[in-house]
Amino acid sequence: MSEIANYRSAPSPHRSDGASVRRIMLDVLIALLPCLVCGVAYFGLYALLLVFLCMAACFAGEQLYNLVRKKPFTFDLSALVTGMILGLNLPPRAPWYIPLIGGVFAIVVVKMFFGGLGKNFANPAAAARVFLLLAYGSVMASYIGAQPGDLLADGETGATWLSGGALAGSFLGVRGYWGEILQLFLGNIGGSIGETCKLAVFAGGVYLLARKVIDWRIPLVCCLTAAVFALFFYGSARDMLRHLLSGGLLFGSFFMATDYATSPKWKINRILYAFGIGALTMIIRRFGIYPEGMSLAILFMNLLVPVMDRFILPVRFGQTDKNGRPVPHVAAWTMRGLCIALAAVLAAATPAYAAAEYDEPQKVALPASYSFIRGMAADRDRVYYFTAEGEAYLDEYNYTQPLAFEIEIDTASGVVRDIRPITQSTMGYKAELSLFIGKTYEEVAALTDLSADSNLSATFTNTALKGMVEECFLAADFDKNRKFERGGEYIVDRAHSELFGGTAFLAAGSAYLSEYDYTQPLLYYIVVEGDTVSSIVPLMQSTMGYTAELSLFLGKTRAEIEGLTDLSADSDTSATHTNQALKEMVLECLAAGGEK
Amino acid sequence: MGTFANGVHPHGSKALSAGCPIERGPEPKAVYVPLLQHIGRPAVPVVQAGERVLCGQLIAEAAEGLSANVYSPVSGTVKGVLGHITLSGKKREHILIENDFTEEEMFLPPLADRSREGILARIAEAGIVGMGGAAFPTAVKLGTDKKVDILLVNGAECEPYITCDYRVMIEYTQAFLAGVRLCMTACGAERAVIGVEDNKKDAAALLARAAGENVSVRVLKTKYPQGAEKQLIYACTKRTVPEGKLPADAGVVVVNVQTALAVQRAVEENIPCYERVMTVSGKAAGRPANLWVKTGTPYRDLAVFCEGKEDCGRIVSGGPMMGESVFSLKICTGKGTSSLLFLDKDECENRNASACIGCGRCVQACPMGLSPVFIEQALLGERWEEAEAYGALQCIACGCCSYVCPASRFLVQSVKLAKKKLQERRAAANVRGGKKDV
Repeated sequence: MSEIANYRSAPSPHRSDGASVRRIMLDVLIALLPCLVCGVAYFGLYALLLVFLCMAACFAGEQLYNLVRKKPFTFDLSALVTGMILGLNLPPRAPWYIPLIGGVFAIVVVKMFFGGLGKNFANPAAAARVFLLLAYGSVMASYIGAQPGDLLADGETGATWLSGGALAGSFLGVRGYWGEILQLFLGNIGGSIGETCKLAVFAGGVYLLARKVIDWRIPLVCCLTAAVFALFFYGSARDMLRHLLSGGLLFGSFFMATDYATSPKWKINRILYAFGIGALTMIIRRFGIYPEGMSLAILFMNLLVPVMDRFILPVRFGQTDKNGRPVPHVAAWTMRGLCIALAAVLAAATPAYAAAEYDEPQKVALPASYSFIRGMAADRDRVYYFTAEGEAYLDEYNYTQPLAFEIEIDTASGVVRDIRPITQSTMGYKAELSLFIGKTYEEVAALTDLSADSNLSATFTNTALKGMVEECFLAADFDKNRKFERGGEYIVDRAHSELFGGTAFLAAGSAYLSEYDYTQPLLYYIVVEGDTVSSIVPLMQSTMGYTAELSLFLGKTRAEIEGLTDLSADSDTSATHTNQALKEMVLECLAAGGEK
Repeated sequence: MGTFANGVHPHGSKALSAGCPIERGPEPKAVYVPLLQHIGRPAVPVVQAGERVLCGQLIAEAAEGLSANVYSPVSGTVKGVLGHITLSGKKREHILIENDFTEEEMFLPPLADRSREGILARIAEAGIVGMGGAAFPTAVKLGTDKKVDILLVNGAECEPYITCDYRVMIEYTQAFLAGVRLCMTACGAERAVIGVEDNKKDAAALLARAAGENVSVRVLKTKYPQGAEKQLIYACTKRTVPEGKLPADAGVVVVNVQTALAVQRAVEENIPCYERVMTVSGKAAGRPANLWVKTGTPYRDLAVFCEGKEDCGRIVSGGPMMGESVFSLKICTGKGTSSLLFLDKDECENRNASACIGCGRCVQACPMGLSPVFIEQALLGERWEEAEAYGALQCIACGCCSYVCPASRFLVQSVKLAKKKLQERRAAANVRGGKKDV
């Protein structure tokens, strides 16, 4: 064996876990990529240019400083991380000089002047953002709306949700509140380049957590605290979730609050630190003059970090006090208690608030098989949401166009609140929604001129829609003051009618049309006032012309109707059968009795 | 499964030598037996140059105070007492014995008195010291006058690569357990707990079957430094040794697996302590092995015996976490040398310290709850009160902080230096205070 000669001596330990500063910085850059991609997708290539300029300014600033101070150049990627975070924090249409000034300020003033990597007392990106906010207030507060996919768009100026902008209310087919939440979560809104898409932030954050680059305590406690404070400041579970998904809260808590140099070193202190950031952010949002407070909160808590690090220390293993008694883990248990308390408060208060403001429509079972209505829901304010399906026969084309609409009836004001088409002709024969929206039942029922300008097909569509709206009105009216469930042979349901006064019955029956050897299902909305029939609205009967002769019954008492013998309609046996069936139904309703 | 707070999870790398049965190690031509193989004062030589000694003959006697007897590991001729380099870099006195390969042996007289005092006397006579690495004279440790109820046997072997204790536990099970019982008698403990990390489940199961009354096996989570004394006590018994106190203050005495084996050999087989089982391992060792190695064997003999490779990047005496880097193969083994590692270049870390980025990983990793990052800052700024407040004096030098440091800073060295400085300042203050009193 030849002599071992080339071995080297080195201090222990002779192993390491393989982590290196450059790898950590690279991980952060990787984690920020989804945010950058989403930012560019929403706000165009100019946003990419801004981020790039910012990174370049940070890198060049650091190397220039090293050159001037005759220090070795540094290639630890940390300047690029700072540049990328600051770049993603800029408004998407900031002027080109903003990233340059911000980048140089972040690196030279905040980081290098205080000793470079690891020695800065404040987060460079947060400090630079706040500096820009103060120095270029109007520029830093002008945002544009997101324009997914349009990389070269100029963008229209629009406020972020936090500064009073509105959300679309419907997103990717999800309507109402959850549509807003989905919109906020996917980031299709105005805001800083990288912070709007929460999905991307989560993706990057999870990557950093998986790589153990950041401590999970900081984002978790930060968001938990912000949630609890938002819940109580705004008194609303809905606003709490909107706030969590708005502005830079998530981006900041994953990527900025976790900055190593400016966050506490002991895990328990990090809980206190993150608590401070979450609380301050919400305090600034609620009471401050700025719509967004994340950067300011991070900056302020950065200043407290040295104090925390110096005076809240881990209890050493076996540490004893002067009397030889073990030192209790006060800080650790206090902070753990704080976390548990926050979680408990959130878990207990959120359902309470959510229940108090709950206005998600709840499904209502359909009492009968309506002609058009396929789905029905109502919220706490008695706004009814219908899905109605029908069809319009377009003469001109000899084509039956299926139709489907979402119709909202507000029974408090008695009007059509909204109609949204789901299916109708794409050829321009569209229903004229304005004919119906905002109208009462009487007004809709009284509509006679449904013609659209020289377009027969559109008129057919309007006519079909009118029938749907009327049915929705009746169904809503019926559901609002329901009295009992099923009874008798024909009566499906009974309710107090607000539209007509009196008692409304929903009566379902059938008529055997011997000519056609066909059993026609029938559904009538029958209103009884005292002992007379005041209104009958057919909801389902033959559409071929064999309709019941309603005048036979209207305004008649029970005795009169019982006395009716001639129910024949002019030379039409089928209509007679329908009349006979209706007579039975009406009699049952009268027997059930109307209110006086 | 017992464990402690914080710590790190280095890759075990034990598979290299875990399957190698214990065999006889090299028979060196000459042994340099150190006079100081233990904590305390060097032993005093009782042989002259030119004198012939037998294997197992007393060659140096314990000095007054804390010390231990030293026995000849070979039969041969004493060439003299001379200075020879040690791992710390200092020259210390060694007895050079030229081996005549006759293997003539000499034993201690048979021990009739198996009482506590008798066993303690025999342990002291046989020159047994702690074989986990610290090499504290065992008779002193076991002879504590404090009330001890648990004898804890450290079979954790938490350092990567090292497998000698594991091999002893499975190959010398009965002798080892007999040694444990003798140690129980010696320290007056009612029961014994053997702590074994769960990467040695077979050893734990084997011991649990053979253990018998009052001896139990506690399986511990595989985590470094599970075998550190205070951490081991906590993991096995949930007792916390207060700062500045000894385990005996918590009613516990901790002995290493091989210490227990040495006690059994001294009491039942009348063999004094002059050899031990060592692991020679690492990817640059052509033939990793677990060996009976005589004290005073030069590392070169082990390198030859285990075919240390030319491309070896670093040689480490002890484990890769706490072990010291070997700068010369002339250095010799002692009673506390548990392993010799030949690491190739990919296996060992070449540290180039860069600026601290303040990630706090060292704080999260420290099993003692210290803040190495701030101790280092305090040391560099010479703010001694601050260094003490962050716990520099409690450092056990396990190296977890350096292990996790992404900036590869020499944290454990800094903390050790801060601890040393603080101790010096304390000693100086005591001297000054004493003078004032006079």
